[in-house]
Amino acid sequence: MTNLRDLLRALGSADVDFILVGGVAAAAHGSGRLTQDVDIVYRRGADNIEKLVAGLESFRPYLRGAPPGLPFRFDAATISAGLNFTLTTDIGPIDLLGEIAGGGRYEDLSNHSICAEAFGVQCRVLDLETLIATKRAAGRPKDFEGIAELELLRDRHKPGVQ
Amino acid sequence: MNSIDEIIEIYKRDVDVTLLDECLKRTVEERLQVLQDFGEAIDELRAQTVRARDKSS
Repeated sequence: MTNLRDLLRALGSADVDFILVGGVAAAAHGSGRLTQDVDIVYRRGADNIEKLVAGLESFRPYLRGAPPGLPFRFDAATISAGLNFTLTTDIGPIDLLGEIAGGGRYEDLSNHSICAEAFGVQCRVLDLETLIATKRAAGRPKDFEGIAELELLRDRHKPGVQ
Repeated sequence: MNSIDEIIEIYKRDVDVTLLDECLKRTVEERLQVLQDFGEAIDELRAQTVRARDKSS
């Protein structure tokens, strides 16, 4: 499982613009479901990509599931040339997403996120309504149970929590 | 109601909402700390399970 504390501290130290989405965002909203990896949507600006690379390169990111020895370089040129990356790192699996189904890019999502502090880092977390919408848009059967939980959380939402 | 909605509604019947209420008593920061702590505990348990399995074989 991904070391969330080390990841958030690295991203915070590098001043990366990102939004927590997926299972960690669900946990932030009250889900009790375990998640194996951390999904983040990062801003696709050249400056932010440089910061992202600087923040994560010490964790030796590599393409998850790819055979060893591929000429993969975790650098700004690679991230700029691609969009979404599923990575294995020294602190566990991390998905770097330039865009998500049903939500779009960082700029589309930032107004649909909340600010939270975790492990001494201020970070953005996708809001509950948008998180549900993105999971519904993905349409994956494995998400249905999670969507049910998130919708119940939404129904039990207390002012000030989100 | 479409089929996805119907499936999700069926799943809702089995969600333990008492656990949700317990979770909602915590702040966002506390929830992420619980996730981190639980993840570390699971990793440790997995490692110990592997060691125990190797020892017994």
